Amino acid sequence: MVSIEQLNSGHLPSWCPGCGDFGILIALKGAIAKLGLEPHRTVVVSGVGCGSKIPHFIKTCGFESLHGRALPPATAIHLANHELTVIAIGGDGDGCGIGLGHFMHTMRRNLDITYIIQDNEIYGLTVGQASATTKKGTITKSTPHGTPEDAINPPLIALAAGATFVARGFSGDIPHLTSLIAQGIEHRGVAFIDVFQPCVTWRKDLPYSLYQQKIYKLEEAGHDVTDWEAAVARARETERWPIGVFYKVQKPIYTDQIPFLREKPLVKADISNVSIDKFVEEFL
Amino acid sequence: MAIINRLNCKIGGPAGTGVMTMGALFAKCLQRAGLEVVGTNDYPSLIKGGHNTYKIRAAPEPISAIVGKYDLLLALDRLTVELHWEELVEGGAVIYDSDHVKEPSSLIGRSDIVLIGAPLTQMASAAGGEIMFNTVALGAAMGLMHLDFAILEKLLKSIWARKGSKVVDANIAAAQAGYDFVKEKNGAFRVQIEEIKGKKPKMFINGNEACVLGAVKAGCKFVAEYPMSPSTSILHLMAGHEREYGIVVKQTEDEIAAANMIAGAGAAGVRAMTATSGGGFSLMVEALGLMGIAEIPAVIFESQRAGPSTGLPTYTEQADLLFALHASQGEFPRVVVAPGDPLECYLEAINAFNIAELVQTPVIVLLDKFLSETSLTIEDVRSIPVKIERGKLMTDEQMESATGFKRYAFSEDGISPRCIFGQKNSIHVASSYEHDETGFTSEDPKMRVAMINKRARKLSAIPDYIIAPSFAGAGEDSAEILLVCWGSTKMPMLEALKLLGQQGIAARMMHIRYASPFPARAVLSALTSAMHSHGKTVIFEGNSTAQMRSLIFQKTGYYIENAYLRYDARPFKAEEIAQAARKHLGR
Repeated sequence: MVSIEQLNSGHLPSWCPGCGDFGILIALKGAIAKLGLEPHRTVVVSGVGCGSKIPHFIKTCGFESLHGRALPPATAIHLANHELTVIAIGGDGDGCGIGLGHFMHTMRRNLDITYIIQDNEIYGLTVGQASATTKKGTITKSTPHGTPEDAINPPLIALAAGATFVARGFSGDIPHLTSLIAQGIEHRGVAFIDVFQPCVTWRKDLPYSLYQQKIYKLEEAGHDVTDWEAAVARARETERWPIGVFYKVQKPIYTDQIPFLREKPLVKADISNVSIDKFVEEFL
Repeated sequence: MAIINRLNCKIGGPAGTGVMTMGALFAKCLQRAGLEVVGTNDYPSLIKGGHNTYKIRAAPEPISAIVGKYDLLLALDRLTVELHWEELVEGGAVIYDSDHVKEPSSLIGRSDIVLIGAPLTQMASAAGGEIMFNTVALGAAMGLMHLDFAILEKLLKSIWARKGSKVVDANIAAAQAGYDFVKEKNGAFRVQIEEIKGKKPKMFINGNEACVLGAVKAGCKFVAEYPMSPSTSILHLMAGHEREYGIVVKQTEDEIAAANMIAGAGAAGVRAMTATSGGGFSLMVEALGLMGIAEIPAVIFESQRAGPSTGLPTYTEQADLLFALHASQGEFPRVVVAPGDPLECYLEAINAFNIAELVQTPVIVLLDKFLSETSLTIEDVRSIPVKIERGKLMTDEQMESATGFKRYAFSEDGISPRCIFGQKNSIHVASSYEHDETGFTSEDPKMRVAMINKRARKLSAIPDYIIAPSFAGAGEDSAEILLVCWGSTKMPMLEALKLLGQQGIAARMMHIRYASPFPARAVLSALTSAMHSHGKTVIFEGNSTAQMRSLIFQKTGYYIENAYLRYDARPFKAEEIAQAARKHLGR
């Protein structure tokens, strides 16, 4: 059993003081500790961005991939060894901008992995441009006259794409977020968690206090997590911002359809002398 | 007198009429009759209509390309007669569907050609369906050659077995009808095939198929691919065997996902590959750099087609060499190998997976459409010993006690012992950022230089004998000319050497397979030796800028004055190589 302290990597996070990423990091560590996962059998896969530096600050295996590409390697690491716990994580620029295609396709595959979007509605590491989740009209460095486009709604996309677990958390409510991440990891199938995360540097118009004022908890609102249409309706709310589990159902997972993976993970296959006798016969 | 066991045949028809399938079947029949066979195709990028051809050459000795005119034209439509009759030898024959092609003699400006009209459609219909008219044609070709019908019957049985006995019987009946019709109505054709019995069975396989076979033998267990001609048959063949060999074959949303997936699988310890063409490879380029800096083994098969952009999707070119060598920003080691024929595809596919793990970096296997879809007779590869070498991969047992293990530890050869996710003590970050020995991001100038140097050293671990160029034809001392080529040009080049030999010219071929690491010493030695002994060297490339010549110059300082370049998106012909060589010699 690993404690939260034992999950410290020894490297101090490089985030701005007050960044929502701290809350997400603590919640992620808390979920791993709570579930008793072995750090060397847990892989945190990120993209590139402020939040994507997270593999360096948690003592598990990590893969800091390319900008927008956390999900393809996460998918493959899971398929290569489905006994590992794979958690993909990245920002809203990463997952809803450059990586949106992978986001949607990964949701429809129902792989047994978890995907967390650190959603601060801004590009942080590139010093403050509008992202795909930035609300219409917001003034940023790249949109001095206000963003001309409607924002993407990540939980709605996950629901539309067929995700079997869709949730939203808030980096300012660490116990709640810890529970959501733990539920996501435990869910047998793809788990998507959108995390509201204030960017204290580039989105001063979206402070912790505003989130605290707007959010409410789905579990306290009598929401039925098996009702997809109710989940969609909740995800579409704009006046108040629901957090908690929108949707959770069980469906066969991707690897259930690959019979030979029932015996052992791909990485355990003996490749020292593969017999190609039958294959060769096709060409004789 | 009849010509025995030497046949050139062209089959033509619109797409969707089974030209390729039938061509490959006929080729296989000839091979089962004990001959060595070449089978290659030409088709436009569409599904129905257009004009497809399949070309076959068969001979008793090893051959590697089509040479000479055709003895037989199998015309599934009128256009085939119109387009190809001039390619027939004197006394050559045309088998055509008399139900659909009326008065073919009006299309043909020669009287020596034997016209064999057979009611292919009617016979197919009688056997069970017009769709089998191509099978009737195949039977007819067999009959003309007096080939044993049992060979075809056996093949049809194995091919159609999965569709049930009704389909098998109908196809056999269709083939038999064509066979009997032609055999009865025609006397001895100028070419006769006499079965050579008792020969060890050989394989008839194209470049893509051989790559798949090699990858499977090498223990590849993860394939991520997005369809793109001419690499797509790799995806199909892999997918068709995924359960038999326990391979996860993932059709991805795009090539970006495919490349990033094999990076993930490689980091997790599974031998992984993708296949694509130049356009898809363009999308993989960023991930290539990721594999470079994170030191991840993976194999990318890139079958070149004529570019740029969409280009000529189903036609060939050798214009991605420098692209493959330089793709992705920054500097990192990569391996680029271009096999020259299907057997080399098999062998280099296995090498690719071994080398990728040996040096922990991506390997690009550069094919082209011509090689991907040209089948040759090769030896049964099961007789070739194969060794799986996983380099410095740590076992689970070794990792049990490896406390403080550093994934990117410095070492003399630059190669670090490699752990994989999930092993005890394996905690590290595989990162796209520059990093220290543990994988932690580092922007320290000294660390940066040390890491660049570490990675650069790794390629030296690949033994010289693997990357050495190959030679054929006349020996270094007796050669009058050195012909340099790379990739698929080897196949027509080997035939060109024979043609030149017949004309009394001693030509030597140097075929370069490895572009990175480049066998600079061996190449320079061959070039300087040729310069001193005869001074005649020509390089042949399927691009307009002589990319291999540039590479040779860059790596050796030797500039090959004479380049014969073909960039009409068609493969080299043996005859043109021989002619170019003769011209250069002034003979």
